[in-house]
Amino acid sequence: MKTISFILNGKKTVVEVRDSETLLYALRERLGITSVKEGCEIGECGTCTVLIDDEPHYSCMTLASKANGSDVKTVEFLGTADLLHPLQEAFINSGAVQCGYCTPGMLLSAYSLLLKNKDPDTDDIREAISGNLCRCTGYIQIVEAIKDAAGLCKHNS
Amino acid sequence: MPVFIGQDVTRIDALDKVLGRAAFAYDLKTDDMLFACVVRSEKPHALIKKIETARALSMEGVAAVLTHIDIPGENSFGAIKKDQQFLAKDRVRYVGEPIAVVVGVNEEVARKASGFVRIEYEELQVISDPFVSMTSPVLIHDEGNLLSHRKVIKGDIEKGFNESDVIVENTYRTTWVDHAYMETEAGLGYMDDDGRIVVVSSTQNIHYKMKEISRMLAMPPERVRVIQATTGGGFGGKLDVTVEGFLALCVYHLKRTVVMRFTREESFLAQTKRHPLHIEYKTGARKDGSINAVRVNITGDTGPYISYGETVCLRAAVHATGPYEVPNVHVDSRMFYTNNPVAGAMRGFGVPQLAFAHESQLDKIAGILNMDPLDIRIKNALRRGSLTATSQALEHSAGLPETLKRIEPFWRSRERQNDRRGFGLGCMYYGIGNTGVSNPSDCYLTFMPEGRIALHSGVCEIGQGSDTVLMQILCESLAMDDEKIVLLRGDTDTSRDAGSSSASRQTYISGMAVCDAAQKMKKYLEKEGYYSGRPLTDICEAALGKGDAMFEGHFDPPTTPVDMETSRGAPYATYAFATHMTEVEVNEVTGACRVVKVHAAHDVGRAVNVKNVRGQICGGIAMGIGLALMEEFSPGKSKSLDDYYMPTSMDMPEVEAIIVEDREPTGPYGAKGVGEPALIPQAASIVNAIKDATGVEARELPCHIERLKLLLEARRQK
Ligand code: FES
Ligand code: FES
Repeated sequence: MKTISFILNGKKTVVEVRDSETLLYALRERLGITSVKEGCEIGECGTCTVLIDDEPHYSCMTLASKANGSDVKTVEFLGTADLLHPLQEAFINSGAVQCGYCTPGMLLSAYSLLLKNKDPDTDDIREAISGNLCRCTGYIQIVEAIKDAAGLCKHNS
Repeated sequence: MPVFIGQDVTRIDALDKVLGRAAFAYDLKTDDMLFACVVRSEKPHALIKKIETARALSMEGVAAVLTHIDIPGENSFGAIKKDQQFLAKDRVRYVGEPIAVVVGVNEEVARKASGFVRIEYEELQVISDPFVSMTSPVLIHDEGNLLSHRKVIKGDIEKGFNESDVIVENTYRTTWVDHAYMETEAGLGYMDDDGRIVVVSSTQNIHYKMKEISRMLAMPPERVRVIQATTGGGFGGKLDVTVEGFLALCVYHLKRTVVMRFTREESFLAQTKRHPLHIEYKTGARKDGSINAVRVNITGDTGPYISYGETVCLRAAVHATGPYEVPNVHVDSRMFYTNNPVAGAMRGFGVPQLAFAHESQLDKIAGILNMDPLDIRIKNALRRGSLTATSQALEHSAGLPETLKRIEPFWRSRERQNDRRGFGLGCMYYGIGNTGVSNPSDCYLTFMPEGRIALHSGVCEIGQGSDTVLMQILCESLAMDDEKIVLLRGDTDTSRDAGSSSASRQTYISGMAVCDAAQKMKKYLEKEGYYSGRPLTDICEAALGKGDAMFEGHFDPPTTPVDMETSRGAPYATYAFATHMTEVEVNEVTGACRVVKVHAAHDVGRAVNVKNVRGQICGGIAMGIGLALMEEFSPGKSKSLDDYYMPTSMDMPEVEAIIVEDREPTGPYGAKGVGEPALIPQAASIVNAIKDATGVEARELPCHIERLKLLLEARRQK
């Protein structure tokens, strides 16, 4: 076991983890962040996506110890029921959510994209979420939502 | 009063989902729960000689190792027939069949211990091909290897071919496809304060599972409660009992809370798949393009247990001609047992496979007759007044001609941007609800003490949007805002059996049940003065005081059982229709096929929620692309998402969803269904587009990059 400390959704967090433990496990089992989903455990589906220093990572393929000293974000960071992030708002309004299992990971990949690219086109968006599988939506309304959110973010800033 | 039907009402579950707080089954796990995992057969066909559990049981942290002897009631389950064992007793018939359940203090302990359960087998001869199964002396079940043989007979098939000017005959093959919902099977079970067994799971049907558990535990159904957790996709794969039986058994013995979750590998290995079908298809047409005779011979690999095999057998047969009026039909559809994975329900129940065949046939005929593929479809399309292959007269909603008409301008103005591009059409029809059997839905409405109305719904929301649609229907029927309504859902304690979320049936059937209940309540509300301004809180209070508290809704679609010999009858009360037009671009060197654009016109009767309908269409197209171009489950080889390819955002075309509303008088506000129809014609239209682009005819799905490359090479050599 070793103690790691990192920023989780803006808060300093200290937790004991095993050397071999994944960040997915630490977040779900030790820190109770169940929005981080598991779909495959081998880095193929993206449902476990988190942001480490604002870059998307598969938390199932990341050792928890690697998060030490970094900034980790999960979907809880984005918004709350009273104050949704434009991406969350757009996901709701565009029909980008069906079963919702891919949604947290999808939102985080999209969030990371919008940090780097304020005005992404369809291809940029597709590329950015290409590591996040969704079995329900066919991605179309997700891409539309991200485009809408980008517009909203630009407008707000 | 606001209007609810046809509006883009926001999904009622979307907020929780974007916040990451929707509770999927495994999210409910806490530290004090035990974890259960399944020991599965490593042999495809074997007698079980011995099950050694002592070693696993002696390991630290192991709470129990349960086998068939621990099942107090009946060790059998099955949606159609009870032919599958929860835990195998003396024989296994496929790799992955459950034999024991190991319960430990946590996942790690349980999974480790499960490796120490020793099974001694005596191997039996394995049948891995339906054509071998057909004649093999080795029997997978004592009654023989033929699960089901269904026929559709109409007119005079010989005469039909004799009077045809063109005859086209081909064989089509499809393979296993995994549902690959993002959330694998999961659930938890506990004992409530009254000593009842409670199971919370990821499922497409709660009442069915309650009944199976009750039989397994020899307990009355009232002693069992099943609750649906937020469910991460179903597509047919969560219709069969998955974790529920094991959880109930663990709770029965241990009286503790137990949680389960299949790994992706386990889900791939052990859960049901789409049926691989071998389809021999012969079509006869007259010079004017009218189809005169269709003869189809379907041979399916159903695996070793029934699951939904009989359903697929019959549904494939009655949809085999496609959405066309054909006077002379003879279909034989047969499913054989094998020791391959259990094939069960998957979005479309065999119809997407058949669409691939009948749409390829139609293009072939059009080619020979020098007819436009759209014209031949218009010519033969089922329409109001037509007789289907089962001689059912289509009296009401039948919008295929309209979907064709809406596609027509795009088709007629299509232009190849380059010579690697091509366009293809695919049409389909699909019977809404279960085939030729009663499949009712029940619900009820009550008044709540806080002055609101409760909709008690047993419908499982699996991502398709049924909760929202049912609420819209209720709001519209009562002319009441959704703020005054509470949805109590997905719990056998607070709802009635609505049947499964399958066969694209919930909007139509449960929607009608909600309308029925609403009508009764509306009369009451009228009498009590609600519509002339009396506050609902008042009415609720008074009603509860008088005990006037329940309004029941029921609907069973009017169908007739089909004839066992000919399938004559009205197996469905209504049908959905669709036409897809797909543009592809094929790389002649690599064999890569990219789907560029899809126009998808769907007659849904009435789009209760336009955004949801569009979502179903886009999702169906994605799955159709998978079926056509990439998804191939090979037993023993496809083990994880590493070696099973399914569409990503990069594989998606531009989609134009066109909604046609030929209202169905027996449906809620005219609605039918769209969940499966969205997928059905997609693969067919892709295959036809590939032919248009390259001249290559794919007769086997998936037409993935290697297969297409070989086909292209073979064509070049010719
Ligand atoms: S669970 Fe991490 S990528 Fe699938
Ligand atoms: S919404 Fe179900 S997996 Fe994306």
